[in-house]
Amino acid sequence: MTKVYDMLIIGGGPGGYTAALYAARAGLTVAVLEKLSAGGQMALTTQIDNYPGFEDGVDGFELAAKMQAQAERFGAVTEYAEVYEADLAAEPKAVKTSEGDFYGRTVVIATGASPRELGLAEEQSLIGRGVAYCAACDGMFYKGKTVVVVGGGNSAAADALLLSRVAEKVIVVHRRDTLRATKIYHQPLMNAENVEFCWNSTVEKILHGDKVSGVVVKNVNSGEEKQIDCDGVFVSIGRKPATELVKSQLQLDGSGYIVADESTRTNIGGVFAVGDVRTKMLRQVVTAVSDGAAAAHMAEEYLAENR
Amino acid sequence: MAALNTDRKQLEQLINGDKPVLVDFWAPWCGYCRRIAPVFDKIAEQYKDVLEAVKINVDQDEGMSDQLGIEIIPTLVLFRKGKVVASVTNPPSKAAIDSFIAENMA
Repeated sequence: MTKVYDMLIIGGGPGGYTAALYAARAGLTVAVLEKLSAGGQMALTTQIDNYPGFEDGVDGFELAAKMQAQAERFGAVTEYAEVYEADLAAEPKAVKTSEGDFYGRTVVIATGASPRELGLAEEQSLIGRGVAYCAACDGMFYKGKTVVVVGGGNSAAADALLLSRVAEKVIVVHRRDTLRATKIYHQPLMNAENVEFCWNSTVEKILHGDKVSGVVVKNVNSGEEKQIDCDGVFVSIGRKPATELVKSQLQLDGSGYIVADESTRTNIGGVFAVGDVRTKMLRQVVTAVSDGAAAAHMAEEYLAENR
Repeated sequence: MAALNTDRKQLEQLINGDKPVLVDFWAPWCGYCRRIAPVFDKIAEQYKDVLEAVKINVDQDEGMSDQLGIEIIPTLVLFRKGKVVASVTNPPSKAAIDSFIAENMA
């Protein structure tokens, strides 16, 4: 006979495992489907200083392992499965994965988001060795060094400004001839003595030995290439939510995030969206865990009404 | 069963044995290596009848990874009868490691 879980959770980041914790403690049967390891984006952040309760900061990977262990202590199970397809309207809801089919009376989408990448060879494998996507997270490692910031939007401008206070030199590489960022960023950036701009340019190649040593940029007008020596490359060209799996079934906003309010309810009954994948003001570990708790509560309510 | 750390000498003995060997080249400072570790332990358990899954810390055994031309970690290398059959760098999921094994064990 096929096992039907009360709750299937797709994604084992902080939102997913908090939903698992709350649901398991409420007596629901819960499986978390995670393709690699707990934590999601957080697992690659070695020092999290804005998660309350850890006065010296906490390693994201270790925090994730603790969240997983905590949910499992109350009976949640983890399956290291990559989800290929989900039928969210079915009864029960059906999820096809690399480890077989799973069924749930409710589903929590906790697939997260990831920084948009440049799409260059070896970019992925240089993460933590010079390639970074979050100045607030990794900026401190570049104290007194030279960094390149790629992008021209608000987050790139904020990253460049933050890095200008830490790094010796910041070079902003942007494919247009002006920043797309709101005006409030322009003057402080132009005034910062250690910020340079490389306009109309795209990064073509990341140079490296063990660590990043520079980038090759190409002028989009002339096609001319030049090398910039640097210790770090901060890629700040936006984020992409992981909604490929559900985009034909769930309502998404213009940027691809799942439309759901604080209740985490989506347009399909019994389907909830938590963490970075949901439309929200602020994407942080604390707001993801908050969503997880809300989703478990709403799922309990849904199950009670749909017995 | 967790995948055990090994060293160059033990590995050279192991890869010349009858069983194929899957080696995870990793280092403690490598974030992606840490993310693979729990799944690599699962792989070790799941495939224990058909292959040996072991780990090499490249910081402690650089000779081996240099010789194989491994510049990026994590890299998984599959050996059979002393020779490299295939390798994969930074697999994004357990499913990706499963298909790497399926493709190269055939």
